[in-house]
Amino acid sequence: MSYAIKQLSVFLENKPGELGFLTKTLSQGGVSIKSILLADSSDFGLARTLVDDPEKAKAVLENHGLSVRLTDVFGVRIDDVVGSFDRVVSLLSAKEINILYCYSFYESSSGIFIFSVPKEQFDEAVLALIAHGVEIIQAQHFYM
Amino acid sequence: MTCTKAETLDRASLEALQFFRLKETLERVYARVPFYKNAFDGAGVSPRDIIALCDLERLPFTKKQDLRDNYPFGLFAVPMEQIVRIHSSSGTTGKPTVVGYTEHDMDVWAEVVGRIFTMGGLTSCDILQNSTGYGLFTGGLGFHTAAERMKIAVVPSSTGFTSRQLLLLKDFGATAITGTPSFALHMAELAKAEGYDLHKDFRLKVGFFGAEPASRGLKEEIATTWGIDYHEVYGLSEIIGPGVAGSCKHSALLHINEDHFYPEIIDSLTCKPVPDGQRGELVITTLTKHGLPIIRYRTGDITSLTREPCACGRTLARIESIAGRSDDMLVINGVNVFPSQIEHVLSCVQGVTLNYQIIAKKKGHLDKLEVDVELDESLMRDDVAALERLKKECERSLLNHLYINVAIRLVAPKSIVRSEGKAVRVIDQRS
Repeated sequence: MSYAIKQLSVFLENKPGELGFLTKTLSQGGVSIKSILLADSSDFGLARTLVDDPEKAKAVLENHGLSVRLTDVFGVRIDDVVGSFDRVVSLLSAKEINILYCYSFYESSSGIFIFSVPKEQFDEAVLALIAHGVEIIQAQHFYM
Repeated sequence: MTCTKAETLDRASLEALQFFRLKETLERVYARVPFYKNAFDGAGVSPRDIIALCDLERLPFTKKQDLRDNYPFGLFAVPMEQIVRIHSSSGTTGKPTVVGYTEHDMDVWAEVVGRIFTMGGLTSCDILQNSTGYGLFTGGLGFHTAAERMKIAVVPSSTGFTSRQLLLLKDFGATAITGTPSFALHMAELAKAEGYDLHKDFRLKVGFFGAEPASRGLKEEIATTWGIDYHEVYGLSEIIGPGVAGSCKHSALLHINEDHFYPEIIDSLTCKPVPDGQRGELVITTLTKHGLPIIRYRTGDITSLTREPCACGRTLARIESIAGRSDDMLVINGVNVFPSQIEHVLSCVQGVTLNYQIIAKKKGHLDKLEVDVELDESLMRDDVAALERLKKECERSLLNHLYINVAIRLVAPKSIVRSEGKAVRVIDQRS
């Protein structure tokens, strides 16, 4: 499905230099990071990144001994208007779709929100949003 | 009460007593425990061939593995109707090591622990705060029974809950305490932090410590900080529990109750006896146990033995504080742990690999065990909560099976350094 963006999840230990190793490896491998979310616990973290070439990034990172998981997420373009994010979330909750996590970044005066939902609810979530005229970003948008 | 006659026998009389008891024990295990019949037959020695104490060398050793192989009651030498107490320690492959006591064994146990309490000057006028773990572990109940029989008032406080222990110690006015040396220091530190005056607020005069190694400096620190006499207690559940040996007021060496437990010191590699004064592995044969008599048990503890008379008047041989282990056993706050046990528990948890590293540390005065475990790459998930649950599961599993608190740290697949040849599984940063 072209709406499924391949996000990289990388397990990192909670210590100085771990993230630096990830970013340096990507940069030396010629991979561009589009967005990143760091989730942390007391002694480990997960770095979730959107990159321009997920397969290449995975290969580069794995060559350097990092453990990488590709996860499907989708991106939603949301205008910078009060209530627009609420509307998207409400559409998902109406369908009882569980949002696992969400992060966002700005791109030319609108926000792009990345959603992670359970695998089995992925298609339902995307279709529900499209049906209500929400703009889902094509995965291709990031891969360049 | 002073020391008993058995503790002051001249060597010839003691050896005669030991030999008489040894013969009786050997006949009993040969007739009643198939494991020993097979072992003796296999070695081509019958109890009849043992005509002097030194012939004991001809008999095969008993190892911890033999207790596990005969789990749970295979080495018991009496029918269950005669067993009145069962204790157990954690095992390596899920099976614990089990020990059983008859009423007679309980009498022996109370007697040998009682001797050590007497060395510390305890009488029925004393109050003993028994800050040693109760339950399946032999420590707490071993001390408890002996103290009760001496009509000492026992406060069965067990371990942990340090603030409450301090409150009881002050309010009940215990004159004696048991526990691990590290717990004694931990208590002292907390007592100071909570504003107690260690010399004025408490009535303690003596402490009986054991279950973990303690340097001379540490012993002195505990004695001075609390203002008490320090007595060391040695024991292991396979032999009886605490009470195998204990130190008197006159020396730091521990009198071994050799009229009940016959000691040998051997070279761990050649298995040959080493001369008095030289270090080697302590091997013990029980001379009076009925429930679980044990022949030439390899304790794994490294020590040396002296038969020089002691200023206290006791003629019993003395061992030095345990200087180390002949195997990779770790002592964590008094609990014995083998790395293989940790490995076995982890092997039962889905999602982690068997690439791990055990790190023993000191946190304040207490031991802290950390285990780094590599995640299984194929089970790696983009889910922090699932990883947290995995970490908790490892910790809970180790607590349930080994009775120890371990801090698990999940680490990335393939991140633990592979060394050439044998993996470095244990890093002990405590000394």
